[in-house]
Amino acid sequence: MKKIYFDVEKCLGCRSCELACAVSHSAAKELEKMISDKDKSLPRIKINFSKDKNYPMSCRHCKDPKCVSACMAGAISKDEKTGQILYDEKKCVGCWMCVMVCPYGAIRPNKKVKIPVRCDLCTDIGEPQCVKACPVKAIVYFEESELEKVKSKK
Amino acid sequence: MSKQIVIIGDSAAGVSAVDAIRKKDKESKIVVLSDENFPSYCRCVISDFLAGKVTEDKLIYRSNEFFKENNVELKLSTKAIKVDPKKNRVVAEDISDNKAEDKKARSAKLQFDYDALLLATGASPKFPDLKGIQKKGVFGFRTIQDTKDILQFVTMADTACVLGGGLIGLKAAYGLKKRGLDVKVIIRSPNVLSQVTDKTSAELIQKRLSENGIEILTGRDVSEILGNGDIKAVKLDNNKVIACQIVIAAKGVRPNTEIISETEIKVNEGICVDEYMKTNIPNIYAAGDVAETFDVTLNKPSVNALWPHAVDQGKISGANISGDSIKYDGSLGMNSVEFFDLPLVSMGIYKESQNHETLSKIYNNDYKKVVIEGNRLVGAVLVGNINHSGVFLKLIRDKIDISQIKDRLLNENFGFADIRDLIKEEERIYVK
Repeated sequence: MKKIYFDVEKCLGCRSCELACAVSHSAAKELEKMISDKDKSLPRIKINFSKDKNYPMSCRHCKDPKCVSACMAGAISKDEKTGQILYDEKKCVGCWMCVMVCPYGAIRPNKKVKIPVRCDLCTDIGEPQCVKACPVKAIVYFEESELEKVKSKK
Repeated sequence: MSKQIVIIGDSAAGVSAVDAIRKKDKESKIVVLSDENFPSYCRCVISDFLAGKVTEDKLIYRSNEFFKENNVELKLSTKAIKVDPKKNRVVAEDISDNKAEDKKARSAKLQFDYDALLLATGASPKFPDLKGIQKKGVFGFRTIQDTKDILQFVTMADTACVLGGGLIGLKAAYGLKKRGLDVKVIIRSPNVLSQVTDKTSAELIQKRLSENGIEILTGRDVSEILGNGDIKAVKLDNNKVIACQIVIAAKGVRPNTEIISETEIKVNEGICVDEYMKTNIPNIYAAGDVAETFDVTLNKPSVNALWPHAVDQGKISGANISGDSIKYDGSLGMNSVEFFDLPLVSMGIYKESQNHETLSKIYNNDYKKVVIEGNRLVGAVLVGNINHSGVFLKLIRDKIDISQIKDRLLNENFGFADIRDLIKEEERIYVK
C-alpha cells in the first residue's frame, strides 16, 4: 500500500501539514469558513518537537496494529487487502483504548466529540493533503515496496 | 491436515482465534459454543447500552455472517458443562428458551469431539455472600442479557445501589445515572478504582462522579439486602438503611473454570497457560478472561481480564492450533476509561512502594505519574491529558532503558520523538 513517509532532515516544523489536515477534515473544507464550525476540526498529523529535530507524527497503518486488537467496540479494523487501518465512527464509543495502546502516540482523543483523531490517508480525496501542503517536501507518499529504493538513494 | 477444532466462547478471544485459524487453514472444522443467545458482541460497551447512548444493534462485534463466511458452526445458547481430555470431548447442553421448560430436551446432552480445544470461557461476576442476594432486582453486569434485565427494572425504580467501585461498578453507576436514577456506590475500600489506579487519580475520578450526582460511600459494606421478594433497601454495616429497587453486584469477576474442574488441567486463579497459550494438556489452549498469563510488570503469572489481551491471546492460540509456534509477549493491567468528560489511563504498577521510584505532577485535573523500577518504566497513570499514553506502554512492554529520558517523562508533550533513539526495531517511516 501507499504510505506517508517523512524526511526529518527537511522538516522545518512549520505545521503547514497540521493546518491542511484540519482543513481537509473540517465540515466546511475551507480555512476561512472552518473557523466558524461548531466542532473544531483537529489535525490527524502532529509535529512532535524533539530537542533538535521535528518529527511529524501520524498513523503508520502498522502491519501488526495494536489499536485493532484494543478496540473493544469493533470500530477499528485492518483491510487485509490494502493493509490500511480503517475506522468506523458509527461504532466508536470514545473509550480511548486505541490512544492507550498506540506506541507512536499517533491517535489522539478529540475530547469534545468523543472520537479519536487518526490519519485516514485522505482516502475520500485521493491524496493526503499534508503531502501537498508541505513547502519543503518533507512529507512523501509512495508504495511501501519502494521504501528500500528510497532509503538507499539517500 | 484437516482437524476438528472446538472453541468455547464467542467473544474477543474466540473470535480472534477463528480469524487466526482461518488465515492458515480453510479446511478444518471449527465449532464455536456460546452460552449466550446473542451473536458475538462488544461486552465492554454494555454500559453505553445501559446509558441509552448506543442501541443493541451497535453492540455487535462479529455478526452471524462472519461465522458463516469463515465456515464456522456457531452454536448459541449452548452451555459447555464438561471437558473430557481423555476422550477429547466437550459435553454441552442446549439452554435456549424453548428448551428451558422442556426438561427432557434439556437433559439431552450434546457432545463435541475435538482434535484441538480452545477454552475461551471468560469470567462471571462474583456475587457476595449476603443475606438477600438472591432477591429479584439484584444483578450482575456482564452480559447483554444482564443489561436488558436491568433496563426492565429501570422504568420502575428511582434508586440503585452499586456494590463495588471498580470499573464495572462505576460503569454501571454511570449508565444508571444517565437513565435518571439516583445512584449510590457502596465501596469497602477508601476510594474508587482501588484495583485499577492510584489514590490521587482515583480521587479525581471520584470527585467528578460526585459532582455529577453519583453518590459514593467509601469504607462501607452492605450487610443485607432487604425486601419481600423484590428489593426494598440495602442495609449497611453501620446499620444505616438505603431504600433502593436495584442492586448491582460489582465485586469483581472470577474466571469460568468450572467445566474443567474434574480434569487435570492446571488452574491457579485462572487457567494456567505457557507462552504458547497452551495448558498442561497438549491439545488444549486457553485465552481471554479465563487465562492466567505472565504479567510483564508484576513478573509473575496473573489474570489480566482485558479485551485487548483477549484478542491478542486468541490470535496466538488460533495460530498455534494451526501449527505455528508463536510466543505471547505477556499481559499487564491497563485500563482506559472516561467519566463525565474526565479521561483516565492507568497501566502496569500504579501503587507506591519501596522498590519503585515514582515521579508525578498534578495541575487541576491534569495528573501524570510514572513508576520506575531500576532504569525501566513499570507503570504510568494519566488523567485529563492522555495524549501519547501509548508511548508509555511501549516503554513498559519493551523494557526500554529510560535513564536518558527520565527527566522528560512528565513533560506535557513527551512523546515518540523522545524515545525514538531508544527503540530497537528498524525505523520505517522516518526515511532520514
